[in-house]
Order: sequence, then structure tokens, then C-alpha cells
Amino acid sequence: MGSLYRSEEMAACQLFLQAEAAYASISELGELGLVQFKDMNPDLNSFQRKFVNEVRRCEEMERKLRFLEKEIARDQIPMPDPKEIPNSPEPREMILLETTFEKLEKEMNEVNVNATTLKKNFLDLTELKHILTNAQTFFDEAEFEIDGSTISMSDRAAVLPPPPPTASPSRTLGPTGNIRFVAGVVLRERIPTFERLLWRSCRGNVFLRQKEIDTPLEDPNTGEEVMKSVFVIFFQGEQLKAKVKKICEGFRATLYQCPETANERREMAAGIQTRIEDLNTVLSQSLDHRHRVLVSIADDMKAWHMKVRKIKAVYHVLNMFNVDVTQKYLIGECWCAERHRSRIETALRTGTERSGSSVPSILNRMETTEHPPTYNCTNKFTKVFQSIVDSYGVAGYREVNPAPFTIVTFPFLFSLMFGDSGHGVLMFMAALAMVVMETKLMQTKSDNEIWNIFFGGRYIILLMGGFSIYAGLMYNDIFSKSFNIFGSGWYPHPQRYSEHTIDHHKDLTLDPTNNSDYRGHPYPFGMDPVWQMSLNKITWLNSFKMKISIIFGVSQMFFGVILSLQNSRYFRNSVNIFCEFLPQMLFLSCIFGYLIVLILYKWIAINATMSACAPSLLIDLINMFLLNYPLEPCSSAEFYDGQKSFQSFLLLLALVCVPWLLIAKPIILKRQHSKKQVQLLNNNDEFEGRKSTEINLDGETQTSKQKDGRKDSHTGHEEEEEFSFGEAFVHQCIHTIEYCLGCISHTASYLRLWALSLAHAELSEVLWNMVFRVALKMSGYTGLIAIFILFTPWAVLTIAILLLMEGLSAFLHTLRLHWVEFQSKFYKGDGYLFDPFRFDKIIEVSADD
Amino acid sequence: MNSLNFNIDFGYLEGLVRGFKSGIVKQADYLNLMQCETLDDLKLHLQSTDYGNFLSNEPSPLQVSIIDDKIREKLVIEFEHMRTQSVVPLSTFLDYITYGYMIDNIVLLITGTLHQHTISELIPKCHPLGSFEQMEALSIASTLLELYNAVLVDTPLAPYFIDCISEQDIDELNIEIIRNTLYRAYLEDFYKFCQTLGSTTADYMSEVLAFEADRRAITITINSFGTELTKDDRATLFPRCGKLFPEGHSALVRADDYEHVRAVAEFYSEYRILFEESGNNPTEKTLEDKFFEHEVMLMKKAFLEQFHFGIFYAYVKLKEQENRNIVWIAECVAQRHQTRIDGYIPIF
Repeated sequence: MGSLYRSEEMAACQLFLQAEAAYASISELGELGLVQFKDMNPDLNSFQRKFVNEVRRCEEMERKLRFLEKEIARDQIPMPDPKEIPNSPEPREMILLETTFEKLEKEMNEVNVNATTLKKNFLDLTELKHILTNAQTFFDEAEFEIDGSTISMSDRAAVLPPPPPTASPSRTLGPTGNIRFVAGVVLRERIPTFERLLWRSCRGNVFLRQKEIDTPLEDPNTGEEVMKSVFVIFFQGEQLKAKVKKICEGFRATLYQCPETANERREMAAGIQTRIEDLNTVLSQSLDHRHRVLVSIADDMKAWHMKVRKIKAVYHVLNMFNVDVTQKYLIGECWCAERHRSRIETALRTGTERSGSSVPSILNRMETTEHPPTYNCTNKFTKVFQSIVDSYGVAGYREVNPAPFTIVTFPFLFSLMFGDSGHGVLMFMAALAMVVMETKLMQTKSDNEIWNIFFGGRYIILLMGGFSIYAGLMYNDIFSKSFNIFGSGWYPHPQRYSEHTIDHHKDLTLDPTNNSDYRGHPYPFGMDPVWQMSLNKITWLNSFKMKISIIFGVSQMFFGVILSLQNSRYFRNSVNIFCEFLPQMLFLSCIFGYLIVLILYKWIAINATMSACAPSLLIDLINMFLLNYPLEPCSSAEFYDGQKSFQSFLLLLALVCVPWLLIAKPIILKRQHSKKQVQLLNNNDEFEGRKSTEINLDGETQTSKQKDGRKDSHTGHEEEEEFSFGEAFVHQCIHTIEYCLGCISHTASYLRLWALSLAHAELSEVLWNMVFRVALKMSGYTGLIAIFILFTPWAVLTIAILLLMEGLSAFLHTLRLHWVEFQSKFYKGDGYLFDPFRFDKIIEVSADD
Repeated sequence: MNSLNFNIDFGYLEGLVRGFKSGIVKQADYLNLMQCETLDDLKLHLQSTDYGNFLSNEPSPLQVSIIDDKIREKLVIEFEHMRTQSVVPLSTFLDYITYGYMIDNIVLLITGTLHQHTISELIPKCHPLGSFEQMEALSIASTLLELYNAVLVDTPLAPYFIDCISEQDIDELNIEIIRNTLYRAYLEDFYKFCQTLGSTTADYMSEVLAFEADRRAITITINSFGTELTKDDRATLFPRCGKLFPEGHSALVRADDYEHVRAVAEFYSEYRILFEESGNNPTEKTLEDKFFEHEVMLMKKAFLEQFHFGIFYAYVKLKEQENRNIVWIAECVAQRHQTRIDGYIPIF
């Protein structure tokens, strides 16, 4: 296990794979998942690469798999996940898979074509059946109308819009003998337009009766269920017939031959019924066959998918390789962690053995000036903390990683704001449940985003809950109530307060100056419960929490500055130590370090007897900047000898730090740069014997670098960037302003620890008093019932508002304190993540699709 | 509709269409596409663009027509989504865009039935954006009056049709006249509608539609040389919302050959350039291509301004151009006609 403190040491390696062994080696590396490959031919199009045909074959296989999957899904057959993830297949298995899929697809297609024709026949017959059953009523109605009854006219008017005056009813429906008809079936939603168009184009000379088919019919081509209607159109003459048929064709209506007489129709219907039954048996047999085929492959589907994915991934990686001139070797470059190299070499050996090749693959370490990727080994516990840091910015290579410190400071600062043991316990239990049932919950992959967020952060929630219990005990706050475990240090002294006074006075004042009301020793752990019922509870707690916030906040900032020293030491950057770390440290300690000392001094040295003239730290800090110490009021006066001169000295020191921080670094950098340049000129003169200037050289390398793209085969001075004093100065100027103002504003920003804790405590107190206490005040059975009823709103509101909402807000504030206040002191975050080639990740992605 | 509350109703769709726009195939992609040797290569490369896996369910070997259909399908899906999400007046505006396709479909179907094709083989060739319910019944009509009375009266195109109703039988020349009359009425109506929308939409769309109108006027004039179309009839086909109206129109009516048209265009700076740069030599671009280029330029301008409907129109047009480009390249690849492969019109 590597340390979290700095990212892994990375090695840029060159990989020589023998052509036959390449596939097996890469698939071994994919199973291992510790190597990040570099694209050696970024200029090549995807279709110009070496293994494009293999990739294409994989895509073809995937297409067939998708097709089969769709068919399986249509029959609603479950596709179980494989018990274990299959190993990446050998190249020859690929051919096997291909033929299997090919065969299956062909079989499936045949089955489908057969089924479609059968279904089409079935549909035709069913539609005809419906026509025949409905036709009788249509004809009856029509004949009834033709009989010339007046009722039929009104009935007809309901079906069709009123005819134009030229077309009189008698002409439309002449003698029965001349009337012809067509019968058919059309989609139900098309009926209105169909009817209108018929009416318009035939000028009202046709008569349409339609009836809806109640049962939905299956469209044989799409397999969807559609609603249709039966219609019969009555008309006269050949011309109209042609027209009607054309319209029917236009509306994709299916026309059927319908016998004229009722007897014939009945006979036909009976015949059709038997045919439908025959067809039904055939159809169910063919569907059964289809079902059997699908069931037999459903179990393998997921495994096949994974296999194809793996093959494709391997070829994608191989596409990133270069081929040497003899076509025998594939050459690639990769990043891997230094300490994983032996494992990688073992994997390569296994790969070579698997492929039966005699020539071993070679992993060759090489020097490069490129920045290596950042790779922090995490486990399920540290992962969430690392991801909190990474979402701000990925650490530079080997930069100090704030994640290990975050594991402690994050839940701690959170708990300062969320300090309530009751709420902490609830939070802790919830997270504990998630942690305990981890493996079980992990298997049920949920799509619920909110749940996934909570589940992903279960360890941080666990810690936050635990720390909140502690902070709550410190604040002596449990659901806004206090526990008196050890016995309060305060009591009304019987000599000063008689029983009667205690019973009849609402407010008593416990005097801290004489020791009569005080037992002489403080409450041993946390806040004294007596504060819970005191009137000046908030005033006291505010002062306490504010000071606590400043102390913890400034300490964290100090810690951040010290971490920047660690960075400078590691990168051997003495300029940064003397021109940045030192003035920064001095500046911070002269102002805020001193403030902490004063806070501690005030807590220890000032007691109740001196309370009238206790020094005000806020005023004192202001006085320190104004260099003015008025005697009135007495709280602003000097409180130790030589205070004024000492504080002026500190102020002066802090002020000196500003120009130090501002100017020193750019000047030194400029010096160093010009020295290097002179050296370079001399070198060129001596070794090359020709006078080429730095600029010239730089220009050359730059063009050649552009040509090489990302390949960096250059070493030494060519990497040196153009140095501009102006730029360095502006940069430093911004940095200085940011730091100095930042110290002040960040200190103020840490006061949110107090503010949120106050808000949380007050809110939970309000909830208790306004909701639950109402019930507690009642007595007897009413009280019983009231408690029963009011507990629910109190509990729900506690969870919804105090736990979830307040918890979220405290979480975000903590996040901010870490990202801005803490990390700005040392963290650059300009790296990029190590992204190894891993099969498990590729399969995970495909499972999400 | 102003900048202040535009986003209430149309902000989502504007954002959406701008997102779609950034997926339009870039010049670099075209350069890659041109290097393809087979259609499968083309498919592989299109996967890396916004088209994604749109061809992945098609079995090899691919056909150009399948690519064309799929590209069109994608546009239709996007357009339908926007149409269903939109409210008045944007929905009306989007409907207006489809009317152009409806006209094309009608003309295609009439021509097809005239040549004895069955309706079922014609329907797949219609542009899905311009499909309407009664479309398939078009073949029943043998005269224009019938066509109007029976089929078109229910469609939004009915008012445009008033001008060309006659008892005449339908024939070749007739169809072209119908198409152009319909188009003229459509453009003028669309122009009027855009004017009622006001603000940027009106400004931008009037410029675009003016260009469209002028392009039609010039094309009609050039195509009418050597046909039976009389000069008076010609004048009735020019859409009257372009920059050429009215002086340019009267000049175009008098034109007898290509040179005359060119002389008319001399007076309009933007069209003059198009004529100057075009030619019929194999190395030169045709006038049609120059028009397309100018159109692309105009359409790209739409995205420079916010809070207007023009971008929806522009997006559809640009997508159409992209469709033409990819199909062109695909055709060249399929027919191994590498020399003409760069004849597409780059967009971004």
C-alpha cells in the first residue's frame, strides 16, 4: 500500500511486444489494470490504424448481440448477470464467437420472417372475420335506409355531413340492385380524415359505415398493437369504385372480398374460423421455437457482451502502438507506477506464454520531461476523501496530497458546526447501516442518483456522525438538551438563597466572584449543563464558540502554510522557502498567531473578579493597527507591560513581510535566469564552435516540437520556458495580495464554524420548544395522546431539516473551508489523473448503457 | 417577444438548438471523411462526431441511401422534439419551416403519379418533415381543382393553392408552375408572418427570406430559357419579398439569356460576387454552389444574435446542407470518384 501523502512514483516505459504476443499481453495488462497507454499516432484517423478491421469485426459482433438482445427483451426473457466476469478471450475464440453470432442472427431472422408472414396471414383472417361479423349489421342498416324510411335520413345525417343540394338522397341511394360496396379495415385514427376525403372527392355520392374493432390487433411488421376499424363503403358505378379504391390505397386500408348475401357470408365466416384456429396452432408452435432459441442464449448474453467489449478494448489499445520496420514488433509507450513494474512484467510474461511465443516482451524504462500523471492508490475508505480533493483539482505529480489530512479535519470541522450528539447518533447509525450492509447494497445497482451520492459517501458520513457525537458532548447538546452526568459545578448556595426564594423567583443570579455558588471545580467534560437554563447562555456560548473557531481556523491555516514548506523542500525549491514560506509564516503568526496567544491568555489569566475591566480582544486588535491605546474604557487599555511596543514590533514585522513576499522572488528568478543564459552562451561557444543564440535555438526546438506533437524526446535546456520578468512580477503581485488579504478574510471566514453551530443549536431548540414541548406541558391522558401525536412532526422535522438540510449546509461549508481556506495555502492542483487501461471499468461502463 | 422575457418560453429551445448547432460536422471532420476509402470507414469516422452510433445497427455493407436516410432521421427526431416542446408563436414558426417540405412532397407525389409510379414506392422518397395525413391520397386527383377540393383544402397549404386552381389536367410544365406558385405564396406568407413577430426575428428572417426569394427568381429565369413559359407567366412566379423586387423583377422578365441575368445581378452587390465567382468549368463552382455557400454564410450569421427564432430556421438549413455534404462525400467514396470529392460546402 502506497502512502496517500504523495502520489505514486511513476515511470514512463517503452513497451516492445512481439506481434503474435501483443494481443495476449495487452489483455493480461487489461485484467491487471495498472498501465496507462499513450497514443503513439495521434495524427492517424481511426480508420487508418492497424487493427481497424478487428475493431470493425467487434462492432459487427456487437450489432448482432444488440439485435439478439432486442429480440430477447421483446419476449421478456430475463438476462442474468454472469456469476463471474469472463476472462478476455483468445483471438481464435473471436472467430468462434463470430460464427456463433452469425448463425444465431440468421436463425433469428428466419424465424422472424416466418413469424411475420404467419402473423400477416393471421391478421388478414382476423380482419376478414371482423368484417364478416360486422357486415351483416351494416347491410341491415343500409337496406333499412333504402326502404325509404324517414328515420333513416336523420340517422344518415348523423353519420355524414349534410349533402350538397345537388345530390338528392334518392340519387345517392338508388335501387338496391345498383349499389356496390367495398369492405375493409383501416387504422382507427385515420377514420375522420378518411371519411372527409371520401365525402369531398366523391361529392357525397358514397356512403360509409364503420365500426371499431374492440380488440387491438398486432401489426406484424413492428409488433406493436394497433386499434383498427371495420368499414363498408357503398357506392354506385365503376368510376366511383376506382376512386374509392384509390383513396383506400392512399390511407393504407386493407380491402377484403366480402360476399353479397348473408348466407355466403355465414359460410365464409365459419370457414375462416377454422382457418384461424389452424393458423393459431402453427403460430404458437413457431413462437415456441423462437422462445426456446432465445432462452437458450439468454444466459450467455451478458458474458458475450463482456467478451466482445474486452476484445474491442484490446484492439483499441493496440491501435495506439507503433509498428517497427520489420513488422515483428509493436512499440508503445505507457505510464505505470514504479512499484508495480514487477507485476506488469509478470503479466507480460504470462501473456507471452499464453500466446506460445518464444521471444519475451520488453518493458523498458525511459527518461522523459513530460509531467507524469498523478496516481493515488485509494481504498474504499479513502476514496471519498480523495474524490473531494480531486473535484477541486488533481494534485500535481508528487505534490502534497491534502486527502489524508482531510480524513480528520473534514469531519472535525463539520462536527463543530453540527455539534449535537443526538443528531450525530442518528447520522452515525444511518452510515453504519450502510457500511455494514455494504456488499449487499453494492450488488443492487441503483439508478437513484441521490441514494448513490449518500451511499458513495457512507464513510465520510460515518466519520461526520462520530465526530458530531463528540462535539455534541463537548457542547453538551443532545437534541438541544443537556445531560447532567457529573453534577454541575454551580448551585444556589443555601445561605444566600432560601427555599422560598428559589421556589418563587423565576430568575436567580449565581455570583461567580465569591465561591459560595461554585463548587470550586469545573464540570469535568464539556460544557456545564447549568448553562442550559441560564439566560445568558447564548452570549456565553457565542464568545466561546467564536474563539474556538478562530483557534481551529488559524491552526488549520498554519498547517497549510507548513505543508507548502513540505512541497518546497521536496521539490528543492529554496527560493520558495525563503521568499514565500518564511514571510507567509511570519505574517500569519505576527497577526493571527498572536491573536490566538491572547485568546488563551485571556482564558487563563482573567477571572471573574476582573470581569469589569477584562481586555476586549477585538478592540485590542484594532488598537494594534492604529497604534493607539486609550485608557477609557478600561477594557481597551494595555493589559501587560510593554504591550504597545511589542505589538508595534509585531505589526512592523508583518508589514515588512509584504514587500518581502512581493519583490524578492521575481528578482531572484531573474538573476538565476540571466546567469543560466550566460552559461548557455558560453557552452554553445565552447562545444559547438558556432555562435547560435538562445533565441535561435529556442525557435528551432519549438518548431521541431510542434512537428513531434506530444512526443518529448528532448532533454535539458530546451524545456526552459521563456522568462519574462514582468509576468513573474505580476504573478507574484497577485499571489501577495491574495495571501495577505486572504489571511484576514479567511480568518473571518472561519467564523462560520461558530455561526452555523449557533444556527443549528437554535433551530433544534426552537423545534423542541415549539413542537414537542407543547405536548410535554400537558398532563394526564391528553398529554399522553399529545406526545403520541406530536412526536411524529418533531421527528420528521428533525430528520428533514436538522439532519438533512442542516447537514448538507454544514457539509458544503466544510467543503468550502477545505477547498478555499485550507488548500489555497499550499495546493496547486495542476496535475492530471492516472487513467489506467482496465477491463473492469470498461465493462462497468457498458453495463450502464 | 423581446429580449427581456424571451427565455421564459423559448430559452430552453434556444439553448437546445445552440447545442445541436455545435454538433454540426466541422471542416476537420470533412477532411478526415474525404480520406475514407470505403463507406465503412466513413461510418467509423462519423462515430466520432455528433452522429455517434446512428449507423451502428446497420449491417454491412452500407449504402449511401441508408446513410442519407439515417442522417435525415436524426434531423427529424431533433426537429420533432423541438416542435413538441414549443409554444406559439415559435410552434407556428416551426410549422412554417415544414411547409416548404410539404410543397416539395406534393410536387414529388404528383410527378410520381404522372409517371405511373405507385404511391407506396413514392412515399419513402418524401421528406419526413413535410409529411401530412392526406399525403398518400394525393394520387386520386387528376385535375388541380380536384386536388385542391379533395386533398389540400384541409392542409395549411390551402391558401397558397388558390392562385393555381384551374380545371387543367396536370402535366410536366404545369407541375413546375405549381411548385413555383406555391413556393411564391409560401415565401410571401412566411415573410409576412415573420414581420408580425418583430424585433430580431423579423430583421434576420427578412434578410434570409429575401435571399431565398431572389435565388428562386434568378433560378426560375435561368431555367425558363428555351421552355414554353412565357415572359408574363414568368413574372407571376417571382416571390415578391426579395431585394430584386420590383426593379430587378421587371429586368429579369425581359432577360433572354444567361448574360442578361448576370447584367441584372450586377446592380446588387451580394449577387454580383456570386455571379463573378461562378462558372461552368470543372474547376469552378457552379452558380448553384455559390448560392449554397452564400446561404450557409447567412445561416451562420443567425447564431451571432440571441433571442430570435432565426436560429431554428438556420439550424434546419445548415443540417440540410450538412446532409448534402455527407451524402456527396459518401457518393464520391462509393463510386471511387476521388477527384470531385472536395465539392462539398464547408459549414464551420
